[in-house]
Amino acid sequence: MRLNVNGQEVEAKEGALLLELVDVPTLCHHPHTETHGLCRLCLVEVEGRLVPACATQATEGMVVRTDTETLRSFRKTLLEWLALSTDLSLAPGLEELLLAYGADPGRWGEMPLTRKGRAPIRDNPFFLRDYAKCVNCRRCVDACGDGIMGVYALTLEGRGLLAHPTTPLDRPLPETPCVFCGNCVQVCPTGALRPLSLEV
Amino acid sequence: MDRQSLLPLLDARLPLTEEGVAEAARLAGVPLAQAWGVVRHYPRYRGLPQGRLLVDDPVARARGFARLLREADGTYPPMGLEALSPLFVRIEGKERYVEEGGRLVPFRDFRLPFALGQGERLLPPEPILNLRAYERVGGLQALRGLLGDAFSPHDLIQAVEEAGLLGRGGAAFPTHVKMRAVAQAPSPKYLVVNADESEPGNFKDRFLLEHHPFLVLEGALLAAHAVGAEKVFLYVRDEFAAAIQGLEQAIGELKEAGLLTKPTEVFHSGGLYICGEETALLESMEGKRAEPRLKPPFPVEKGLWGRPTLVQNVETLANLPLILKEGPAAWRLKEPKLFSISGDVARPGLYELPLGTPLGEALERAGGSPKELKAVLLGGAAGVFTRDFAVPLRYRERLPIGAGAIVAFGKEVDLWEVLLGLAHFFQEESCGKCFPCPLGTAIQVEMVKRRERSRALVHDLAQALKGSLCGLGQSAYWAYQSLLEVEDAA
Ligand code: SF4
Ligand code: SF4
Ligand code: SF4
Ligand code: FES
Repeated sequence: MRLNVNGQEVEAKEGALLLELVDVPTLCHHPHTETHGLCRLCLVEVEGRLVPACATQATEGMVVRTDTETLRSFRKTLLEWLALSTDLSLAPGLEELLLAYGADPGRWGEMPLTRKGRAPIRDNPFFLRDYAKCVNCRRCVDACGDGIMGVYALTLEGRGLLAHPTTPLDRPLPETPCVFCGNCVQVCPTGALRPLSLEV
Repeated sequence: MDRQSLLPLLDARLPLTEEGVAEAARLAGVPLAQAWGVVRHYPRYRGLPQGRLLVDDPVARARGFARLLREADGTYPPMGLEALSPLFVRIEGKERYVEEGGRLVPFRDFRLPFALGQGERLLPPEPILNLRAYERVGGLQALRGLLGDAFSPHDLIQAVEEAGLLGRGGAAFPTHVKMRAVAQAPSPKYLVVNADESEPGNFKDRFLLEHHPFLVLEGALLAAHAVGAEKVFLYVRDEFAAAIQGLEQAIGELKEAGLLTKPTEVFHSGGLYICGEETALLESMEGKRAEPRLKPPFPVEKGLWGRPTLVQNVETLANLPLILKEGPAAWRLKEPKLFSISGDVARPGLYELPLGTPLGEALERAGGSPKELKAVLLGGAAGVFTRDFAVPLRYRERLPIGAGAIVAFGKEVDLWEVLLGLAHFFQEESCGKCFPCPLGTAIQVEMVKRRERSRALVHDLAQALKGSLCGLGQSAYWAYQSLLEVEDAA
């Protein structure tokens, strides 16, 4: 199967994800979880439509653009908004992207709702839940539930910008089905979940 | 439905206790985590706000919102009825009332006034609330024809195609394409009537449900037969309590007369704007948070419980009996569309007008004078401000008509105040699943508050919101961008 990416002919296997063929930033997608299509950082243009590369299969003859003016401006703005609303200090990959896209969060003024003020939750001896750093990618929720563990110790609280992971009945983790396998910590891209052993 | 859905189980246990949530999760056969995520998603499970609440809609925003708010304990989201004038609701414990002319009317008794505008119409000119009255105006002839082999499911879909019916919920997708896709899909399959109308300024579906329940049901049964659905679900906005009662009564009457030809059930909606998005609607029926799914797959392939599902808007389905009665060619000449016209017009109400009617003419029908208006909000929150009174009200025209909401604003109205209400609305109603929308709608509120007119910034806001997962985020900046255009043109 052949498709066209940024003017170049590319050979691909049947059923391949666009993400395997193009070089775009990602945030919500993870090879071990089923989360995809949420962060939209990996959007590419296919016949004038924006589609997430992490959730779109390549098809014969598809014409894909990954680096148009529109897409660059989109990613830059999204990164700026993330930086305004969320503590990205333990997400070096995102900090690098901000630099690469010439992001200038200050041009938007204030972010009225912010995640930054949230206090870390220390409810177990193994890891910290620091939702000031959480971008709500849901990788942890999926890792704990459908994706890897099938334990369902995590779910989601709220809607809109303040939505974030929580536990059933908002209980401390030791009072949930959590088995402290650490999968959620492994998949967290921002340091919102991190081992206590790393804390000083 | 194959399984017990979580939402009715939770509803039966209001006000919720932790035991109640756990019991509902057990009965639905889902992890407690899923049930808790649901409880923390829908407003009614978090406990209703109490007191006298101002419905925060464009009309209230245009009538001195700050002053109105001083008389209230808080705000309530738009519900598709308020646009005739600013409206207060009162919530005391579990009881909900609408304030109407100084009286408190319980939600279950509150109906939209029957205010169908004058002109040549296909809709019956008075409410049709029982089966006899419906049959007197020629009702059920289409359904009887289909059951009596006067025409086939194929003929029905063919007629819909010849009529050129486009979905009336706002997306304007050709109805026959969806119907044909589901008709060709394997069983079991479902029909879901999307009666979750909550576009600010829009009250047409509520009107149809409250005043023409049989017409809606006949349309739904026709569609269910045409596509071979086993079951019909009516997903109705929970606030439309009178409509729900009326529908249940009508379903009972049809059943008694042996004319309820498919199992039909009312499902109380999740009560959020996003519940009107067809995939979020399906998620909520399956007992999950109302969050849009990634498409593809589309509901016609994988809908309710993963089965092929036809999701159709109320007005769309109500047109099916009318198409058969008139004949597709005659219907197509008339191309009726319901418009909710409100705000600064002398006779706010519901108007059935042919598609293509110029905006100015529609306003004049409702006693509005374009010369005296500052602008019109066309299409609701997911709509645009405009002064283009010559624009034909038609799908895929230069301006979107959405579900057909038209709110008129007089010269003295501060449109930025109205816009701020819309911006708040989007911020509140963003589900938070994808990234651009919750971030962008929050930034937008700040920008509108400071009356940000920088073209570059608004352009970048739009560009980023366009990348959202669903139509809510994708349209959240339209009103903002259009207000700047209206100002430029002034
Ligand atoms: S550590 Fe606990 S919460 Fe995290 S994935 Fe494992 S079981 Fe789930
Ligand atoms: S805690 Fe980490 S993994 Fe979980 S949603 Fe937040 S950022 Fe994603
Ligand atoms: S655009 Fe908004 S409402 Fe739609 S999925 Fe994204 S966050 Fe949810
Ligand atoms: S990585 Fe594709 S949308 Fe997040």
